Amino acid sequence: MKNRDNSGWIFVLPATIVLGLVGLIPLITVINYSFFEIFILDARYWVGTEWYKELVGSSRFWASFGRSTLFSALILAIQIPLGIAIALCIPRGKFWVGITLAMIALPLLVPWNMIPSLWLSLLNPDTGILGRLFPQVGWPHDWKLSVAHTWAVIIAMDVWHWTSLVVILCYSALTTIPATHYQAAAIDGAGPWQVFRFIQLPKLYHVLLMAILLRFMDSFMIYTEAFPINAGGPNGATMFLAVDLGEEIKAFNYGPSAARSVLYFLIVLSVAWTFSKAQGRLDRRGAA
Amino acid sequence: MKTAQRYFPAAKRIVLVIFITFACLPLVQMTMISFVATLPTPDAEVGSLTFSNYVGIWTDPNLRSAFLNSISYVLINICITIPVAIPAAYAFSRMSFIGDKHLFLAFIAFRITPPVVLTLPIFQLFSSLGIVNSVYGIALAHCLFNLPISIWILQGFISAIPKEMDETAFLDGYSRPRFIWKLLMPQIASGIAVTAFFCFMFSWVEVVFARILTTTNGKPISMAINALFGFQTDIGLVMAVTVASVVPGAALLFAMRNHLSRGFKIGSV
Repeated sequence: MKNRDNSGWIFVLPATIVLGLVGLIPLITVINYSFFEIFILDARYWVGTEWYKELVGSSRFWASFGRSTLFSALILAIQIPLGIAIALCIPRGKFWVGITLAMIALPLLVPWNMIPSLWLSLLNPDTGILGRLFPQVGWPHDWKLSVAHTWAVIIAMDVWHWTSLVVILCYSALTTIPATHYQAAAIDGAGPWQVFRFIQLPKLYHVLLMAILLRFMDSFMIYTEAFPINAGGPNGATMFLAVDLGEEIKAFNYGPSAARSVLYFLIVLSVAWTFSKAQGRLDRRGAA
Repeated sequence: MKTAQRYFPAAKRIVLVIFITFACLPLVQMTMISFVATLPTPDAEVGSLTFSNYVGIWTDPNLRSAFLNSISYVLINICITIPVAIPAAYAFSRMSFIGDKHLFLAFIAFRITPPVVLTLPIFQLFSSLGIVNSVYGIALAHCLFNLPISIWILQGFISAIPKEMDETAFLDGYSRPRFIWKLLMPQIASGIAVTAFFCFMFSWVEVVFARILTTTNGKPISMAINALFGFQTDIGLVMAVTVASVVPGAALLFAMRNHLSRGFKIGSV
């Protein structure tokens, strides 16, 4: 077990100071603003919880919340199994592993604001690789008018962008399995499914928890990539939570945007808390 | 059963090839457009093959300085993150102190906080500190997500090293800081490299803080690309700049590929 030693605080102090500066102080500022009506920052008056009441009472907020939830659910349902599957497919030879992983990770290196442009040019009916191919399989020219097609594009884009992270995380966990486990399984005559279920999957739990946490939160609060694809359309069908907040900040509505930010942070906090509970349970199971 | 097992590796290979094709497709498209003239110019027709987009990057002082800005803020960010993260990761890995679980939870909460939530107050705070429109502002703001991730990754590497090593060192008269510096750091060198790579990756492509913190000056490459969009967008140049912005990361990625494939470890606190 770890030593009980409060001098640990000295070691985490620098990190706490940095995160206090870039995280905690801004957060407190936002909480403060959320209770005021602010025209300019020097002139403000107390409005109590009015912004919160307005927000929680608005159907627009809940519609965005629903859309973001659905989006995250779809993203997790695709990316996590796909990431595991790809990680399992990576060959064992040392040379090819490196090349494969590097190729897979390339999408992570594209600046986020360029990703929508990339996909739009890919779907361009005159010059895009897919855009020229797709009409033959029934992809409509005016796909931007269709909710289903716009969603499909945004989901494909996010799968393209982020599945690699899941693959890298899963692969890193798979490499920690000693070869003797596989040999034992082969002696017992275990098939690929049994090897996965009883040897590989248990090793993946911790990493999957992290992958789910990161992918859930980042897709739930998708901002930069989602909006330019179709400007939140058609008819606001791809307006997600963070996009609403971004619009509010751009309009300089300090009070309402602050209330929104606080609400989003509360979501973040509850997700982080659920995550740490799940991790604690995994640890206990691992120890038992 | 026997035939199924014979085809299994082949099926795996096919799945992998399909996925890699999917991963590379937009990048291929981007590279293709970057070599095409997309705006009429005196010496090249629209749609003809050209290198002028890449020449354009060289000759545009804004783009050149944007590359420099991006590289400098990422390096500054790594120089802040790693030295701060190593002792913290050590403490989370080896010591139990009051509030350690809660502190770790708070760190994770900051990692998953969407930057857009904190843009406004960070802008105000940084203006009063006088680090807006400079690479230092972005470098510091990016610690919000890079620091927790770095602590997490490093913590996994440190936990993989047997505790006996610490105890022997303490018996030999090492203090904790000296032990971290002299003995632990060389042991986790590849872990530090992986962490730095992840910092680079998340920081290089981030745009929300980069946008709000650089309105007049110190624009990174992603914002310089944004500035290229206008009434008449030279999409060929845009794609050429994007290709150029992926190249440093890709070079690092290929240099790091064996460290990534050896597997970095992620555990729990």
